[in-house]
Amino acid sequence: MQQFIERLNTKLLETAGLSNNFKFKNADNLFFSAIAGMTLFLMLFIIIYVFYVASPVLLKVGLLDFITGTRWNYGASAYGIWNYALSTIYLTVLTLLISVPLGLFAAIFLTEFASKRIESILRPLIELLVGIPSVVYGIFGFFILEDIFRHHIDPFLNGTLGVFLPIFRDNNPNDGFSLLLASTVLAVMVLPTIVTLSQDAIRMVSKDYRDASFSLGATKWETIKNVVLPAAKGGITASVILGAMRAMGETMAVLMLYGGSATAPVSILDSGTAMTSLILGDLGSNFNNDEAVSALFAIAALLFGMEIFFVIIIKLMSGSYGSSKA
Amino acid sequence: MDRRRLEENIFKGISYLAGIISGLILIVIMGKIAWAGIPYINWYFLLTSENETPGIGGGIGNSIAGTFVLSVFATAIASPLAVGLAVYMKRYAKNRPFIKLVDFCVEVISGTPSIVLGALGILILVFYLRYYTGGFSLISGSIALSLLILPVIERAAEQAIDRVPKELEEASYALGANKWETITKITLPFALSGIITGIVLGIGRAAEESAIVIMTAGYSIHMLSFKIVPNEALVYGVKVYPFQALLATLPITIYNSYHYPTMVDQGEGFAAALVLIGIVMFINLGTRLLLRRRRIG
Repeated sequence: MQQFIERLNTKLLETAGLSNNFKFKNADNLFFSAIAGMTLFLMLFIIIYVFYVASPVLLKVGLLDFITGTRWNYGASAYGIWNYALSTIYLTVLTLLISVPLGLFAAIFLTEFASKRIESILRPLIELLVGIPSVVYGIFGFFILEDIFRHHIDPFLNGTLGVFLPIFRDNNPNDGFSLLLASTVLAVMVLPTIVTLSQDAIRMVSKDYRDASFSLGATKWETIKNVVLPAAKGGITASVILGAMRAMGETMAVLMLYGGSATAPVSILDSGTAMTSLILGDLGSNFNNDEAVSALFAIAALLFGMEIFFVIIIKLMSGSYGSSKA
Repeated sequence: MDRRRLEENIFKGISYLAGIISGLILIVIMGKIAWAGIPYINWYFLLTSENETPGIGGGIGNSIAGTFVLSVFATAIASPLAVGLAVYMKRYAKNRPFIKLVDFCVEVISGTPSIVLGALGILILVFYLRYYTGGFSLISGSIALSLLILPVIERAAEQAIDRVPKELEEASYALGANKWETITKITLPFALSGIITGIVLGIGRAAEESAIVIMTAGYSIHMLSFKIVPNEALVYGVKVYPFQALLATLPITIYNSYHYPTMVDQGEGFAAALVLIGIVMFINLGTRLLLRRRRIG
């Protein structure tokens, strides 16, 4: 009974604001709430503002026509992003075609075949690729790789596969800027993401699974193929999605290496212009034209929308992945 | 049986090859850049501002100073917001939908293509607010970059706060400290090394960014200077250097060697690249060592 009265007393004091801690408790809560609120507001503002600036053109042209239209002209207010969107899609796909097999097998090598010592040397070497700024990848491709591609790789592909497959034909033999060059450099840029995340996923697979597979008489590769990789599927998919996000959003290196033609490439040795390059190239010179700004922001909104879509996929995947493990 | 062994050996070979290629890429790239850049690196090149050399290029002193100032400013803007948000999320927030919303926003912003932040920066900071920011300037650049590194620091701070032992905080409460005292005297000091790691990573991330910088800070051949000059186009009728002035940064110096290939020697571009990689790698390796030491200690 006495306890009850005591508790009631404190409760009353607290509600009346007389408790000793009460004032302080509120002040610090307010302080951190204010910072958190401000930051959240800032983040929401960024997300919403992009779509807000984009809305006039998106509403006028219509999302479907904006994506599938093939004419992009500020003077005629024709805003169809198809050629640039296709360039970005080809770029992302080819980048993944190069980097995923390479990165996945490198991750398998690091976890399953390499000794501890080799792994401790090799993994940092791959991780440090992140530390090279994209503009440096850009000039590396521009001054060094372009020459090699123009004089050796492009003619070789054109002369062998290009004879019977049009997607390997070199339609512009005197320059090396191409889908293939840009994708090769981008593949190196996304490689560390793919290697480290898939290696972490492969490493998480329980040793019991492997032992069970070995005891059934499977070879090492059969165990990897039938047991380890399926078990690590979630993490590997996440790494591929993150790689795709990075490739899609990359600006500088792509601007320097993709060549800049206004049509989408029809061969991997053709040049094109990614959506990011178009924004960077045109936004600064079109401020006096509200519609042009809005159109360029519509491209940004498209990229942003795809990125948010990918983030949601990863969230959903990691949610189901976590619950199945628990 | 033979077919199985063959398959085993083929894929083992592919894995070895992939591992070796992936490891060699960094060595080849760094070797090539060093080969092209090292002959151009000397004290004159590193310390002289570009406007004091004959012609275009020739010195990157202005860019090194600009890179340093810009990334530190951007981090200084982002850190209080990021750390404050992390503390709130980990110690105050109770509303589940709110926590989910903030998590989602941080995730989205951290994956934002940098061109989107650059586009926002050039429209809002450089164009709409030019009366205050001075257009392309240190202020515009550091605000735009701070958005890029906010999630980096926030994530690091959240993880650092997660690692603070519950017992320490409970002991603090048991001694009669209130929440503010516990957070400022126990939680934050304990999480400090993790938070600093995040901040340093943020500086590195800001130093290497190029798309946002070219759209918000521009480029200048002049060294940073501290002066106030009358300028009717700006707020209070004065232009405050270096805050409202164009700023040189290393990524843009490197970009210039691509943009003006006939005027700037490409070796100078590679030398600037080498310096920038040196700065960024030093930061990455430093934080890696910091992390490793803490894990053992």
